[in-house]
Amino acid sequence: MIVAAWICLVAPLAAALLITLLGTRISRLAAAYISTTSVLGAFAAAVFVFAKLWSEAPSARSHPSTAWEWLTAGSFHVGLRILVDPLSVFMMLIVTGVGFLIVAYSIGYMEGDEEERRYFAYMALFVFSMLLLVQAGNLVILLAGWGLVGLSSYLLIGFWHDRPAAVSAAKKAFIMNAVGDATMALAFFLLIQHRQTLNFPDAFAVGPGHSWLVNLVALGLLGGAVAKSAQLPLQTWLPDAMEGPTPVSALIHAATMVTAGVYLIVRTHAVFEQAPHVQELAAGLGAGTLLMAGLIALVQTDIKRVIAYSTMSQIGYMFVGAGVGAYANAEFHLLTHAFFKALLFLAAGLVIHALAGEQDIRKMGGVGRLMPVTRITFLIGSLALVGVPPFAGFFSKDPIIAATMTRGWYGYILFAAALIGTFLTGLYAFRLFLIVFPGEPSPFVREHLMRGSHAAGMEGAHAREAPGSHDHEVHEHSGEGPFSNEHSGEGPFSMTAPVLVLAVLSVVGGWIQWGPFWDPVSKWLDPVAPPLAVPTDTQEALASFFAVLLGLAGIGVAWLIYGTRRWRVPRLAFSQRVLEHKFYFDEAYYFAFYRPAVFLAKGLGRWIEGPIIGGSVRELANAVREAGLDTSRLQTGLVRTYALAIAASLAVITIVFVAVR
Amino acid sequence: MANVVVWAVWIVAAFSCLASGIAVVTFTNPFFSALALIGNLASLAVLYLLLSAEFVAAGQVLVYAGAVMVMFLFVTAYLGGRADAPWAGGPSWQQFGAVLAAGAILVEVIVVIGLKAGGRLSHEAKIDAGFGSPHRIGRVFLTDHLLAFEITSIVLLVAAVGSVILGAHSRRPPTTGELIHEGEVRAGP
Amino acid sequence: MRGPDIAWYLAVAAFLFATGVLGVLLRRSPLIVLLSLEIMLNGGNLALIAFSRLHGESSGQIFALAVMAVAAAEVVVGLGLIVAIAQKRLDLDVDKLSFLRG
Repeated sequence: MIVAAWICLVAPLAAALLITLLGTRISRLAAAYISTTSVLGAFAAAVFVFAKLWSEAPSARSHPSTAWEWLTAGSFHVGLRILVDPLSVFMMLIVTGVGFLIVAYSIGYMEGDEEERRYFAYMALFVFSMLLLVQAGNLVILLAGWGLVGLSSYLLIGFWHDRPAAVSAAKKAFIMNAVGDATMALAFFLLIQHRQTLNFPDAFAVGPGHSWLVNLVALGLLGGAVAKSAQLPLQTWLPDAMEGPTPVSALIHAATMVTAGVYLIVRTHAVFEQAPHVQELAAGLGAGTLLMAGLIALVQTDIKRVIAYSTMSQIGYMFVGAGVGAYANAEFHLLTHAFFKALLFLAAGLVIHALAGEQDIRKMGGVGRLMPVTRITFLIGSLALVGVPPFAGFFSKDPIIAATMTRGWYGYILFAAALIGTFLTGLYAFRLFLIVFPGEPSPFVREHLMRGSHAAGMEGAHAREAPGSHDHEVHEHSGEGPFSNEHSGEGPFSMTAPVLVLAVLSVVGGWIQWGPFWDPVSKWLDPVAPPLAVPTDTQEALASFFAVLLGLAGIGVAWLIYGTRRWRVPRLAFSQRVLEHKFYFDEAYYFAFYRPAVFLAKGLGRWIEGPIIGGSVRELANAVREAGLDTSRLQTGLVRTYALAIAASLAVITIVFVAVR
Repeated sequence: MANVVVWAVWIVAAFSCLASGIAVVTFTNPFFSALALIGNLASLAVLYLLLSAEFVAAGQVLVYAGAVMVMFLFVTAYLGGRADAPWAGGPSWQQFGAVLAAGAILVEVIVVIGLKAGGRLSHEAKIDAGFGSPHRIGRVFLTDHLLAFEITSIVLLVAAVGSVILGAHSRRPPTTGELIHEGEVRAGP
Repeated sequence: MRGPDIAWYLAVAAFLFATGVLGVLLRRSPLIVLLSLEIMLNGGNLALIAFSRLHGESSGQIFALAVMAVAAAEVVVGLGLIVAIAQKRLDLDVDKLSFLRG
């Protein structure tokens, strides 16, 4: 079983290295298959580990394994240690399973791209990094995985490196994550000093009476989680990260990497429980984020950005769950969210791919008529997102909302926020669906889909609208075969198959746990992260009732505005502007951090680097050169001068000799 | 009586020594300078005799005045007397510095002689009759100072070889640089 | 036989040496410089002989003989140099012979 866990970890890394070393000697498709197969192999290994672990008694399900120890400083030892326990296996399955589906989808999506091999190498690297993160047996390895996923994210966001927007988005993501890395590192230093170890779970038992220490450590960890999961206040990088290819958005910025923050909190919950105020802060940040992101999603016009803000919002729910101590619920929502969010992204990718890279929803409309399979799957994803039973989101979101009721008055504030969030979720999700899919195909859609052409989807390359002279080219099509290229607008089978699988999972994925009735997930994660409080059945029922009610209300409002056009979008210019500027966070950070930093750098460059550092080196060189020149002036070549020097020295030496005697 | 003779001889010899020395340095014609040096060497030989160094005096006259100075005169005759401004040239502080340095050395030595070493210079050792004789010199050369003797002979050999090489006419054709320098070929427009 | 003290001889030697120094430093013709060098060497020789008489040691005279031999060798080489310089049609002026300048 341990061997299988190592194989799971190493397989994607081996694939990435193999692709890198073979380079252009293998075909692009071969690189794609190597990458996909490795992730599939990792998934198989993860299933194997899961089966083995299941067969053991719950209390025995914790198997650390250290490959080798490389750092020993006094009593502090660090090694390449992985931990096989219920939580890590849970995450392994999600990462490799959903990862496999998305990488398989990429085979069709990235076909024809010049640098396809690099893409698949990076994807394999990412899967390896994420697995390293979740399988880590101590905080050092977790930090290594943390940094590597940040790197993979940077590489994949900026994959189309000749696009300036992509490059700056990649930099932004990396730099904001670096802030989180720094706080985490500081937290680790404190733990090392106090506990002499960073292994799970020994590092967490700080003990009573160290409230400053444990609060600081928890804050540091929270900082890292917030940065990685794009929560307030470090959330501005996630919408920009949509510059990367859609499968990247699906895998990294929806299903796995951004959920690493939640995983961190759950894994280190012992520390947070010793610092309850920080834990409450985590929940509060999650609640704030989910509201803010839900509001911003209402005005977004880029299909991917709506889904990105939705991700931000749903992770807010997970933070709320972890913040109130409902760890298993947060993880369960992580699982279902991976399913339906990846589904939404990949289905959106199908649309984008069919429309030759167009992402502006104002140009789309009536896509559903030409891509019926995509429409069905997108609808399923949206319903799962809103939490309508029997889709997956219902089973995972409502227990979190219920758990907030166990925390007193603060919990009720969170409760209210979460419920408002469900209304917003219904509203924005169906706004998106209703704008894009139903109805008559817009001129743009007709131009791209009726001809059945599929340009190799370079996203963001906004296709120019030809002046409306294409009407005569419009012809009705009859066949609606879902997988054929020519008759409908659907994509190739390699892309629709993973979407279909995810759609199925979004329906049935929630059925493995239902609140009070049966909870295998909670039982599975119990040895690792027992919940702080369990809501009563009444609370569960209340939460579900209100959540579903508000979700349907949101759908209803969206239907009225965008579906039947009976209501108008209210004209609130001020709030519209605030939302469109994403609550002015980018502007605030620009003035608060960027400008001072540039000012400082310029000042230092001008006053210290130039004159002092550069100057000292320059002056040293000049001084040496001057000294050399001056010394060379002694060599006049005149014998008489040399002789005079000798005579003068002789006179002086004579005096010295005489005086000494 | 003998004392007065010695003193008189000494004064004459010393005076001519100094005068000829100054003459060497001041005459413009190198021929005359060489002749003055011969006079200098002769007066020095007299002084050596007064100091009971007979062999050295003889050697001085034979080697120095007889051989070295003859060589000097040969070369001076070969080169011709260049009688251009002898004192000019060099940096402005050269002359002042030279006088200063030389004067300093002279003053220092005189002061030392006059002051400190007064006590140590007055006890002349008792010497026997064969003090500066060739017999004595030869024996010391070949016993106590044999190494100096041998090395001196090697030095003379090296000098002879060197002078032959220096004076030999070069057989190889002169390089362009040499030709330019000698004015045979013009360098540039 | 009394004569002047050794100190007088030493004074003469010092004077000769100083004269030679002046000649070396102040004359431009290398020939005269060589002659002045000979004056300096003779000054040194006189001092050696004087000290040899003072201490009753023959070493001083041996030293003086060695100096004479070395002086002869030096003059030979020096004159050879001067002849070579003259053959190259260069000016016999120590100030102009300054090719080894920095």
